[in-house]
Amino acid sequence: MVRFGFAVVVVALVLAGAAPAQSQGVIMHHDLSALTAMTMAETALETCIKNGNRVSVTVVDRQGETLVQVRGDNATPHTVENSRRKAYTARTFGISSGEFAERVKADPLRWAQTTLPSIIALQGALPIKVGDEVIGAIGVSGSPGGDKDEVCAKAGIDKVADQLK
Amino acid sequence: MLRPGLSVAAMALAVSSATAVHAEGLLTHRDLSASMALTMAETAIDTCTKNGYRVSVTIVDREGDTILQVHGDNAGPHTVENSRRKAYTARTFGVPSGEFAERVKNNPGASAVTVLPSIVAIQGGLPIKVGDDVVGAIGVSGAPGGEKDEACSKAAIDKVADLLK
Repeated sequence: MVRFGFAVVVVALVLAGAAPAQSQGVIMHHDLSALTAMTMAETALETCIKNGNRVSVTVVDRQGETLVQVRGDNATPHTVENSRRKAYTARTFGISSGEFAERVKADPLRWAQTTLPSIIALQGALPIKVGDEVIGAIGVSGSPGGDKDEVCAKAGIDKVADQLK
Repeated sequence: MLRPGLSVAAMALAVSSATAVHAEGLLTHRDLSASMALTMAETAIDTCTKNGYRVSVTIVDREGDTILQVHGDNAGPHTVENSRRKAYTARTFGVPSGEFAERVKNNPGASAVTVLPSIVAIQGGLPIKVGDDVVGAIGVSGAPGGEKDEACSKAAIDKVADLLK
C-alpha cells in the first residue's frame, strides 16, 4: 500500500507540473502573444497615469526576453531598463520582484544572485502564470515606491486573466 | 528689391523649418506619446498579420531612442533589432529607410554612413513627421521584402495622422 501510494503521488506530480517530468520529443509551451503583452503594457501604463505616476513597462517572455517595452510619457531614463530587470527577476525566480527583494535582505544566497546580469532586488514586477507555469513577467518602474509600480503590473495581468489558460 | 526678396525667402525658410533657425533659449518640441506609439505598433502588427506576415515593430523618438518595441508572434529573432535599425535610419536621415537603401546603391558617400551604429540600408522604416519636423520613426521587420514591411509602417502612421500636428 505504501508503494502504490507513492506511485500515485508521482503520477499526480507529473500531471500537475510539466517541469519535473523528462519530456520525450518536442516540448509544448503556452507563450504570451504580442497582443496580450501589449494589452498588459497599456493597462499598466494607464493605471499608473491615473495614479499620478510616470512609468515605463516591460513584458518579458518565458526566456526572459523582451516581448514589449514602452517608455511612458515623461518617465525618467532609467525606468526603461529598470522595468526590464524587474520583469526578468520575476520571470526567472517565479515570484514577485518585491518578494525576491525581501529574501535578499535575509539570505546570503539571494544576495549573491543579485550579481547576475539583469537581476534586481526591487519591487514592481510580477510573474505571469498559466496555472503554476511561469510564461513571462511584467515589470513597471517610475512610481515613487515599488509597491505603486506593482499595483500597475497587477492591473496589467488582471486585465488579461481570462486569456491566461 | 533683391535684398527684401531674399529676407522674405529666409523668413519663409525659418517659419517652415525649425531646424534651420538658431534658437535662443530653450527649444520647444513636439514629441510622440506612448499612447500614439502603442496605437501605431498595434496597427503595424495587425496590418502585417492580415497580410500573412510575422513581424516585429520599433518606434523611436526624436533622438532615435526606442519608445516602444514589440516582438510579434512567431517573428524571427533578428526582426526586433532590425526593426529598430530601420526606424533609427529613417529618423536620422528623415527619409524612408528604403530611400536611404536606394541612395546607398549609387552613392559611395551614403554607403560609408552604413558603418555607423544602428544604420541599416533596408526598406521598412518611415519617418514620422509633424509638418517638416521629424519627431520619430517606425520600423517593421519580418515580411519577405522590405516593401511589405513598409506597407505596415505606413498603415500605422496613417492611423494616427490626425494626431500628428
